[in-house]
Amino acid sequence: MTIGITTYLIYLAISIALTIWVAQTLHKNGRVFLVDVFHGNEPLADSVNHLLVVGFYLINLGYVSLALKLGYEVRTAQEGIEALSGKVGMVLVVLGGMHFFNLFIFSRMRRRSSVHHGPPPVTPDAFTAVQEG
Amino acid sequence: MTGLTVLYDPVCGLCQRAHGWLADQPKLVELNFVPCDSEEARRRYPHLDHALTKKDLTVVSDQGAVYFGPKAWVMVLWALVRYRDWSYRLSSPELLPTTRRVVSLITQNRYQISRVAGL
Repeated sequence: MTIGITTYLIYLAISIALTIWVAQTLHKNGRVFLVDVFHGNEPLADSVNHLLVVGFYLINLGYVSLALKLGYEVRTAQEGIEALSGKVGMVLVVLGGMHFFNLFIFSRMRRRSSVHHGPPPVTPDAFTAVQEG
Repeated sequence: MTGLTVLYDPVCGLCQRAHGWLADQPKLVELNFVPCDSEEARRRYPHLDHALTKKDLTVVSDQGAVYFGPKAWVMVLWALVRYRDWSYRLSSPELLPTTRRVVSLITQNRYQISRVAGL
């Protein structure tokens, strides 16, 4: 096995392991948020949580796969490690970005749902009698 | 609060256009539209100063709370699913003075705006 292929295999192993780890973290800790957003409707929260994680997997694994090709030949172990470091670094940054994007979605959903129960933003100028009917 | 009555100016094209837009928006609180200074408005609110409602947009809640001008605008936004967070933003202490200025500018020039915009 050449150093180039070894680099690719290690890259894939690290990237996929990282993606799975982040996705699981998101899945486990995002649930609490979503249950709150959907007012205790657990089946709905679980469903949305699962759908979000699927999207997360697709985008990240898609990126990992697209970014695989090095475009130059790796001859020594040092070059292999350098190439690996660059690739894994990019994957980490993309994962981090996706993770914060997910957190942003969670917090926005939560704010939206709490705003729907908010009191009127201003106090009345006056009161008047209302004739019903 | 379950419903708000909007006393709008039926003569102004801009107000009618706004009325149409509001009618299509998904709501958190029901909005009823009654032309200001009309028979219906006088019957519903016998003690309200109806001359005043012709000058500024007026919103009255089911419980009889009256909101004039900028506050009425904010309350209408508050009733809408998509714009409730904007009602809080626009009525925050930092933005309220600007909201007041913009609203009174539009209100005072509503007939000119309607004419220029061809409404």
